[in-house]
Amino acid sequence: MNVDIITVILGFAQSLILIALSPLITGIMRKVKARTQKRIGASVFQPYYDIVKLMRKDDVVSDQASWLFRFAPWVNFAAIATSALLIPVFIIYSPFELVGDLLLIIGLFGLARFFTILGGLDTASAFGGLGSSREMMLSALIEPALFLTIFTLSLNFGATNITTLINSASNLHVLITPSVLFALISMFVIVIAEAGRLPFDNPATHLELTMVHEAMILEYSGKRLALIEWSQSIKNLILLTLMINIFAPWGIAKSVSIETVGIGFAVFLVKASVTAMLIAFIETRVAKWRLFRIPDLITIAIASSMIGIVFFYI
Amino acid sequence: MIASILAIILSISVISNGEPLRASLLGNIPTLFDLPIYVDGVSAFFIFILGLISFAVSLYSIGYSKHYAVKNGTSVLGFLFNFFILSILLVVTSNSVFSFLLFWETMALTSFLLVIYEHEHESNLKSGMTYIVMTHFGTAFILASFLILYIQTGSFSFDVFRQAASSTPMLIKDIVFILAFIGFGTKAGIVPFHIWLPQAHPSAPSNASALMSAVMIKTAIYGLVRFIFDYGGLGPSMDFAWWGLLLLSVGAVSSVVGVLYAVVEKDIKRALAFSSIENIGIILIGLGLSVIFAAFNLPSLSILALVASMYHTLNHAVFKSLLFMCAGSIDYTIHTKNMESMGGLIRKMPWTALLFLIGALSISGLPPLNGFISEWLTMQALLSTPYIMNTNLQILIAFTSLAFALTAGVGAATFVKIFGVSFLSKSRSELALNAVEVPRTMLAGKGVIAFTAVILGILPFIGINLITSAFNLKSFSPNNYFGYISLSNTSGGNFASLNPLIVLLLLVSVAACFYVFVRIVGKATSERAFTTWDCGFGGLNARMEYSATSLSQPLRKVFKFFYKPRNKITREVYAESNPYLRRKVKIDSTTRNLFEELLYEPVISACIFLFDKIRMIQTGKVNAYLLYIMITLVLLLIFVRLTP
Amino acid sequence: MEIFQIDILPISSAVLLIATFGVIVRRGFMDWLSAYRYQAIALSGITAIIAFVTGAWELYIAAALTILIKAIIIPIVLLRVTGGLSFVSRYELNPYISVRLSTIISALLVALSYFLTQQIPFKSDQILRAYLPVSISLLLIGLFVMVNRRVALNQVVGLLILENGLFLFATTLTRGVSIIIEIGIFIDILVGVIISASLMSRISHTFDNLNVDNLEQLKDE
Repeated sequence: MNVDIITVILGFAQSLILIALSPLITGIMRKVKARTQKRIGASVFQPYYDIVKLMRKDDVVSDQASWLFRFAPWVNFAAIATSALLIPVFIIYSPFELVGDLLLIIGLFGLARFFTILGGLDTASAFGGLGSSREMMLSALIEPALFLTIFTLSLNFGATNITTLINSASNLHVLITPSVLFALISMFVIVIAEAGRLPFDNPATHLELTMVHEAMILEYSGKRLALIEWSQSIKNLILLTLMINIFAPWGIAKSVSIETVGIGFAVFLVKASVTAMLIAFIETRVAKWRLFRIPDLITIAIASSMIGIVFFYI
Repeated sequence: MIASILAIILSISVISNGEPLRASLLGNIPTLFDLPIYVDGVSAFFIFILGLISFAVSLYSIGYSKHYAVKNGTSVLGFLFNFFILSILLVVTSNSVFSFLLFWETMALTSFLLVIYEHEHESNLKSGMTYIVMTHFGTAFILASFLILYIQTGSFSFDVFRQAASSTPMLIKDIVFILAFIGFGTKAGIVPFHIWLPQAHPSAPSNASALMSAVMIKTAIYGLVRFIFDYGGLGPSMDFAWWGLLLLSVGAVSSVVGVLYAVVEKDIKRALAFSSIENIGIILIGLGLSVIFAAFNLPSLSILALVASMYHTLNHAVFKSLLFMCAGSIDYTIHTKNMESMGGLIRKMPWTALLFLIGALSISGLPPLNGFISEWLTMQALLSTPYIMNTNLQILIAFTSLAFALTAGVGAATFVKIFGVSFLSKSRSELALNAVEVPRTMLAGKGVIAFTAVILGILPFIGINLITSAFNLKSFSPNNYFGYISLSNTSGGNFASLNPLIVLLLLVSVAACFYVFVRIVGKATSERAFTTWDCGFGGLNARMEYSATSLSQPLRKVFKFFYKPRNKITREVYAESNPYLRRKVKIDSTTRNLFEELLYEPVISACIFLFDKIRMIQTGKVNAYLLYIMITLVLLLIFVRLTP
Repeated sequence: MEIFQIDILPISSAVLLIATFGVIVRRGFMDWLSAYRYQAIALSGITAIIAFVTGAWELYIAAALTILIKAIIIPIVLLRVTGGLSFVSRYELNPYISVRLSTIISALLVALSYFLTQQIPFKSDQILRAYLPVSISLLLIGLFVMVNRRVALNQVVGLLILENGLFLFATTLTRGVSIIIEIGIFIDILVGVIISASLMSRISHTFDNLNVDNLEQLKDE
């Protein structure tokens, strides 16, 4: 697509919209969970209020913590927000499209996770160690699944550069091929895992039996906690966007004009909400799995993408 | 100490020497007393690695040697150290079998002496023994491969080997490759010949460990590169494909085994040694891919994989030496290598902690540091397999990439654990409470390396151009230092591209913007310090923290079939009548060392059995020995008579 | 709007594989039984597709029979006969190879079956190309599941998957010529399942577990 100043501005805008919209998606997920559990639940805008409230509170920092503890949420947030800048959301363009690479996004998420885990260890509490050790195990196992999925995707669509991927995905005339189907299954499992949703991890829990992510951030408060919560929402939305745009990219704007962008944005909102509702619905149907059964689920993702690779050649 | 300064001068001259030599490629430095020297781009690349690392480590050693000044005297240490560096230098520049083997042996001997330098500890002697045996085992194989080449070409000079590469039959080349692979592989620490590595590297003093792990292992890679590309005469023919496949699979297995053992280790240096095995595996994966691509006549992909592999070699040298130097600093101040005794060092040794953090981030392959670049390049090489025409091979490589990704994931977990347990949270023992920051020279040495790590990460082209011009490959991307690395697929679209500098700028600017945003929205807030949340019961002490073993416990359970851990539980009770009122419960959990048990012990016992039988020949009687001589003489005479 | 097409044949084989994996990752008897229904439905769907493509009307009957027997009758029979069994004899607590490793091995078996069928020249025969590798992989996976399970009741699932794979294999190759044989096979399976299930419930009542390891005691030593 031909690039002019409006496109560039739109490119930045879409990433900012993504960052701004993410708490809403989290709110939608919570609302759906509440409704299916016969509760009324908080408003869908509650996460926004939460974040602002947290930002205005004082911090309490453990006397054992060092500069790493204070610094980690910023690295976390910067890494995830930077990945948000690299993804085409509702127009197939990102101002940084030459830098936007799926492997880079994995690397940035890894960077965020590294610092969060270290932050959990810094406070000398057993909770932090608990969360960190579980998170270490989960992330170590998710990596191969993720890489194999990307392998399948790059086989099918011929790129790891995100813009090129989405571009070629949207140009395909075939609705779905088996290889892509297996990659979708694998990707769906991974998205749930990375976003820390049931059955991997319960984002609303306060029992150490079921905590993974929550345990690591237990000691954070105030602005830092706001940043961490926000970055978790952004990460969720990034993963959802990636999944939507790669596997179901119809409606995304290929050229810049009022209608195409408008349609693109509306379609994106609908798709994101529907997927979020689907994930939330699944969350209410399953319980949190026992920690050592989770590798079983991850191997399902790995096996799925392995078969996807094989099917590519059939 | 003076010797260390001389070492610095030597290495500085070597670094500056690296430049013009590369420009003129085939620089034949005239022979010195019949030990010909030949420095081309490949050698120069490895000299560069050596020079850089030894410069930093020498700087570090100035301070570190004080550790030994009170005990053993530093002159021997300095002498050995410098001689070690010299022998490595000469190994990569030798041009004939004789000189190569001479300096290879010297390298092995000096490092052996360095390993047993602290000979008060029994374990050091044992690991030195293992080391010297394994290294000679490897050297025997290398010698065998050289001998075959000699038989083939009739000369000991590497130049002749190079020229004869095209005329040797494939079978000979295959045999030579296997022998060289086992020989150099033992030195590099591939599985299953790796057991000396986790014993030898921790036993040596830290500056030597740094050098050994960073550079000496790479000489084995140098040897492999020479054998494959120079003497093997790699070309676009299917016969070479299985070489690459062998390299690839051994690399994959080594990397997974190495990292799985690394993550459950409690001793910092042993964990780092296992991590070296893992990274050698990654280098071999890249190298194997390069060979496979070359065999299938895909030169640009072959270059990609080779650049990835060599970049990782450079990177690993950089960050492994950094990590070993930091581990040495910890050892220097608190005299322990056991992570379970450390903790809270980040407050006592802030600079070392920061430098270790940089090292840990790089080795985990996280942006924007150098490890990410080489892992990215290797991943791209793995993803380029669709261009190989053989689909079975493609699927096989795809499954190998599973191993690679697992390594990357568990590797990051390992270093999170090492950094977290050693530096963060409360001190777990008295020793850690006494830590102080290390002298400035040690910091400077580490700082140089850390700086290099960051630079290599942000501006990857410094590294890439170094490699492409050293290896005389056509560059496949712009020469501009600030440009992008980009790869294009067959339809001309952008397959993948990366620009780490922009990533770094983005990270910083995003952080800055949102800092401002948060300040505005959140107004100013204050910070209070309070004790960590302890569920209200108070008295949180160091024993309640997670230790190194506990952090890796989930992983240990997941990979149970690999570790086969054994738990031994001992209980002490107050009175026999009531076994439920326990005074003390102790659990000993060990992971089995699979390779030692299944592979080495049977072989060693078989050898010892054999040796016992052979020992019967040594009767101690002079007559018997004379009898042996006579028999040999008679046999020889008959043999000579029989051959025409 | 662009025109989208779906290649039915490869997608249906993919769906069958997904259903199969849905069966083998479950350890409990009730779980895999309900998943097995979906696999049977997928299989009959494929049979109907083959019937549609080749125009052999017998295959429609085969498809209907598949749904009737495999998706409805066999589950009901198994449930009835094994109603009284204890939990231990129904749930796979300790397979030889853990579930996650066996998932990966099953994926490898799929790759292997692809490798095996590569030699066969497909030319433009779509049906063969789509279904042959899948049928062989079902065969191998069924065998592997039978090998891996300790609880005898769960070995039945391996047998059933194996039989499905064979059925698909035969249908793909012969295109419905030998319908009588297929009906015969159906009845065989039905009877076999009934007999083995009732035997198992008898064994379980007598010995209180269905662990196949205990058969080792029959060794002559």
